Amino acid sequence: MRGAFRVWQRNVTIFRKFWISGLFPNFIEPLIYLAALGLGLGTFIQQGGISGQSYVEYIAPGLLASNAMFAASFESTFNTFVKLRFDKIYDAIITTPVNAEDVVVGEYLWAGTRAALYGTGFLAMLIALGTVFGEPLITSWWALFIPPMLLVIGIMFSVLGTLFTSLISHIDLFAYYFTLVVTPLFLFSGIFFPVENFPSPVPQVAWFTPLYHAVNVCRELATGPSPAVFVDVAWILVFTGVLALIPIQIMRRRLIG
Amino acid sequence: MNTKNERNTETRSGESTLVARDLRKAYGHFEAVKGVDFNIFGGECFGFLGPNGAGKTTTMKMIYGAVIPTGGELSVASLDVYRNEREIKRRIGVVPQENNLDDELEVRENLLIYGRYYDLPKKTVLQRTDELLDFVQLSDKVDAKVEQLSGGMKRRLLIARALINDPEIVVLDEPSTGLDPQARHLVWDRLRALTAEGKTLVLTTHYMEEAARLCDRLVIMEGGRIIAGGTPKDLIEEHVSPQVLEFRASPDVLERLLTLVEPLADAVERTGDEVLLIYTEDADTLVARVQESDVEVENTVYRQAGLEDVFLRLTGRSLIE
Repeated sequence: MRGAFRVWQRNVTIFRKFWISGLFPNFIEPLIYLAALGLGLGTFIQQGGISGQSYVEYIAPGLLASNAMFAASFESTFNTFVKLRFDKIYDAIITTPVNAEDVVVGEYLWAGTRAALYGTGFLAMLIALGTVFGEPLITSWWALFIPPMLLVIGIMFSVLGTLFTSLISHIDLFAYYFTLVVTPLFLFSGIFFPVENFPSPVPQVAWFTPLYHAVNVCRELATGPSPAVFVDVAWILVFTGVLALIPIQIMRRRLIG
Repeated sequence: MNTKNERNTETRSGESTLVARDLRKAYGHFEAVKGVDFNIFGGECFGFLGPNGAGKTTTMKMIYGAVIPTGGELSVASLDVYRNEREIKRRIGVVPQENNLDDELEVRENLLIYGRYYDLPKKTVLQRTDELLDFVQLSDKVDAKVEQLSGGMKRRLLIARALINDPEIVVLDEPSTGLDPQARHLVWDRLRALTAEGKTLVLTTHYMEEAARLCDRLVIMEGGRIIAGGTPKDLIEEHVSPQVLEFRASPDVLERLLTLVEPLADAVERTGDEVLLIYTEDADTLVARVQESDVEVENTVYRQAGLEDVFLRLTGRSLIE
C-alpha cells in the first residue's frame, strides 16, 4: 500500500501544477447541463413534477455523481493510457520497489481523489447557487457525506476505466468506451428522469449499472437519506471490490513480461 | 588499457553478485533467451555485447524484474529473482534503453519523486539529488523541463535517477545508443567514475568501442545464446590473430585477392561486397606479397584486431547492420 501511496503522491505533485487549467472544464460542464436542462427544460416541467422537487433540484445531485464518473473516467482512460504507452511512466516506476499492482491501486486512489476534489467544488457551487437564487439545491446536512462518497464513486469508475484501458492497444478505442458505456450511463441512470417509469427491463438493467446507484446515493444524501441508501452504497462497494482485482492482474501482465 | 587490467584483477577477487544458470525466456514459441549462464562479480563492469535481437534487453529485464524468466535460475545482489522482487529492486539502479523520464516534471523533481518510490527520507533525497545532478553535470538545468533537454542530457538524467537509491548494482541497457560522440564520451566518463566508486555495472551495447573501453569482462550474445566470453583482451587473443588488414576493392578484384592471400593468412572474412578482412600474425609479409602480385587494391588499412573482429569471426557477420 505504501507503493500505491507513492504513485498517488506523484499524481498529486503534478496536479498541483496543473489544477487550475483542469478546474475550469470540470466545473463548467456540469453547470452547462444544470443551466440547459435544469433551467431550459425545467421550465416545461411543472413544479412538483418529479418527486415533489423542482427540475433543477432534481437533477443537481445526479450531476454530482456523473461529474465524478467523468473525472475518474478521463483519468483512468486517456491519462492512464498515455502514462502506460507513450510516456512509459509505469515502466520507470516498476523498476523501483513500487510494484505493478501498487501502480494500479495508486491510480485508482488518485482518480477517486480527483473526482472528490472537483466534485466537492461543484457541490459548494450548488449550495452557493441555491442560496443566491433563494431555492436551495442541497437541502440536507447529510450532504456532508457526499465528498467521501464521490471518492468511492470515483474509485469505482476508475476501476471500470482501467479495466478498459488494460485491454486496449490503441488510444482511439476509447471512443467506444465513452460512446457505448459512459454516455448511456450518463443518460439512463436517473439523473434527468426516473428510470423506474420506463417499461421493463430498463429499470432492472439500470439496477445492474454503476452510475444508477451513484446517482441514488448522491440524491439521497442531498435531500436526507432513507435506509434504501445502504443498498446502493453496498452495491457500489461490492462492485468496486470485486472488479478492482481484474485490471490489477491484466496491467501486471502488460507491464511485466 | 593497463590501468584497467590492474583494476580487473582487484575486482575479480570480489564475490559473485549476479549469477545466471541456464536462464531462459520464451514468448509463446519464440525463445528470446535460450539458456544463458553468467557470473558477475561485485565491483566489475560486465558487458553484454551483441546485435539487436540477440536477447540482451530481455536478459537485462529479467535482472531488474520487468520480465519473469520462463526457466533457469537467476540471482541478483545474491537474491533469488523469483522470490525477492521488491528487495532486489531496492538494491539496484536501472537505466532503460528507452527514455522514460517523467516529462510533466522538471529535472530536479524527476529525482525527488523517484527517491520517494524508494521510501528514502526526504533529507537524503534532497541531498543526493543535488550531488547526482552535479555528478552528471546537469546542475545548471535543475529547473528545466525534461523536454528541453538534449538526448545526451536526458541519458545523463536517467543515469542520475538510477543512482538515487545508492544502488550496489547499476543495470544499463545501451547507455550510449543514439548519442553523438561528445555526449557518448561524457556518459562513458561518468560510468567509469561509477566503477571507480566500486559499483557493479551491468550493461548492454552493440558498440565494440564501448565494450572495450568500459567492460572488465563481457559476453557476446547472438540469437538468445552466449557464444563467447572473457576480458576484451582474452577474447581477442583467443578468437582472432592480432593483426588485421582491410582491403577495399571491387568484387572481382577481391576474388583474385582472396585466392592469393588465403594460403598465407590465418583467416579471411568478407564483409559486404567490397571489403576483405585478413587476419595474420605477420602483416608486413602479407602486404609485400600483395604488392608483388598484379592484383590492384584501392585502399588498404592496417590495424590491431578488436572485438568487432571477434564477433565477425564467431558469427560471420558484422555487429552493426
